[in-house]
Amino acid sequence: MTKNLGSKLVLIVTAIFVFFPLYAAAEFSLRNGAEHTHGFAAYRWIFDQSGFAENLGITLRITTLAVALNLLIMVPTVTWLHLSGQRYKRLVEILTILPLIIPVVALATGAQLAMPDFMQNSVYELSFFYVVIAMPYTYRALDIGLSGHPLATITNAARNLGASWVKTLTSVVIPTIRPSILAALFLMVALSLGEFTLAQLLHWSTFPVWVTNVSQQNIIGATALAVGSLFFAWILLFGFSFFGSKNSKVVQEEE
Amino acid sequence: MSKDSLKVKGLSRQFGSVLALDDFNINVAKGELVALLGPSGCGKTTALRIIAGLEKSNSGSVTLNGKVITDESAHTRNMGMVFQAYSLFPHLNVAENVAFGLKMRNVAKKKREKRVDSILELVGLGKHHKRFAHQLSGGQQQRVALARALVIEPEVLLLDEPLSALDAQVRTNLREEIRRLQLSLGTTTLFVTHDQEEAMAISDRVGVMSNGRLEQIDTPDVLYNTPSTAFVANFVGTMNHIPGVRTGKSVSILGENFKIRNLDGSDGHVMALIRPEQLEVEEAKKNGNAEVVTRSFLGASSQIVCKLSDGTIVQALKPSSESGDLHPGEKVTLSINVKEVLIANA
Repeated sequence: MTKNLGSKLVLIVTAIFVFFPLYAAAEFSLRNGAEHTHGFAAYRWIFDQSGFAENLGITLRITTLAVALNLLIMVPTVTWLHLSGQRYKRLVEILTILPLIIPVVALATGAQLAMPDFMQNSVYELSFFYVVIAMPYTYRALDIGLSGHPLATITNAARNLGASWVKTLTSVVIPTIRPSILAALFLMVALSLGEFTLAQLLHWSTFPVWVTNVSQQNIIGATALAVGSLFFAWILLFGFSFFGSKNSKVVQEEE
Repeated sequence: MSKDSLKVKGLSRQFGSVLALDDFNINVAKGELVALLGPSGCGKTTALRIIAGLEKSNSGSVTLNGKVITDESAHTRNMGMVFQAYSLFPHLNVAENVAFGLKMRNVAKKKREKRVDSILELVGLGKHHKRFAHQLSGGQQQRVALARALVIEPEVLLLDEPLSALDAQVRTNLREEIRRLQLSLGTTTLFVTHDQEEAMAISDRVGVMSNGRLEQIDTPDVLYNTPSTAFVANFVGTMNHIPGVRTGKSVSILGENFKIRNLDGSDGHVMALIRPEQLEVEEAKKNGNAEVVTRSFLGASSQIVCKLSDGTIVQALKPSSESGDLHPGEKVTLSINVKEVLIANA
């Protein structure tokens, strides 16, 4: 009884801690200026600002490229590490932590110098940087997913049944670790949509940079932007978890 | 049996300083089931993986139906394989798992479904099409893996200890089912196991491996009754080690002389390798040469454990109907009912 009450109390306190600031922000974003009424004026204001669609479009394109690059690089790499590169696993784990240790300023300068000339003049260079920055998270999401399956046995079985390496990767490995890939994808999307420092340091105008600039003009509008971005991220999260759990739902129905 | 389907010649494989496979040779006839038997680390799985194309050899060749396939990739060899660990694809249901190999071979959907239905019926899983791996027992998972390997009509079926993760009863049932399927489909099969009972029960021939080499390959009864080396004699079945003295080509054991089958080594003290059923136990008229330690009833026969005068413990088998008077502590006379014996170093 006491234990139950204690659990409920913890749950209530946590819920207040998480949701009250969100509620407060949402409420504030719906205020109509000095009037004590509520509406969507601040949200309409966002769409009236010049550069909204353009910057959101750029960020979405950068994100799409970053996600594609990330999956193309990380899925085969982590799969290889699990199958035959076990002795390099420790080294790769250390390498993937580096983006957390190296300050973004140093990363921006160094990485910019390492970029080929034609990429230095393109906003899409950010996609490559985002892949590096997201590596600590995406590597671990994929690593956990692969560790949960007898990868060597199922890839051997697939090859033995006539699947080439590419077919084994696309028809067996990727579907097997789909929930982990979706988790990595979500982390990548969340990071790309919200990354400000690197874009600002390299003088690229992306959605987070635009948000920071316009926020300085209107405090309620800035809150509306924050709340809107949060909901956008939540919708993505639910979308990914819906697709991720599709397979397990089928399994439950069978039972 | 007709001509050889699978020919393996001079395979060697080294991992660092360990020689896992050393000049390994084997021929398997079409429709034959050959078991590779040996202790852990003897190289049997390495041999199987090289044959499957999942591992590269340092030297040697693999020939399948007259075609050298040593350098061919695993996915083009048309061999079915069942693994020791459960290997069903977790994202696919039973029918999809079984259909995987056919899909890779671009078999039309209708034909694919027909073949999947028929093979699942054959392994007794006709009603489990839509189940996923985690909804099946270990035995069922291995049956699906077997169906998946057989549905592609492989030129050779490779079984890598497929029963070792299962409990005793399921193991016995499934090994009989494997043999039934193998005989009915006529699939050439190479079966790796460390369980001699399993190997002896279902194989046409058994190859015993030790330290990366094939020590002997023969039918189960020849292997049991006339092992060619001390290792095979010790590894297959129960073996007594009875002290003796070698002089030239004969050895004196329990006061009698016997011919030696394996002549390498020198004169002096040796151990004779004698099977329990090769030992005769009679009640001693005077003192005898041994004493009964225990008698265990096994059904038609009884196991008599005796202690020789030098303290050596040996086992003998005697029909239960004739062994009722042999009680612990009783003096008995042990004799050997064969003329030739194998010896090992003392």
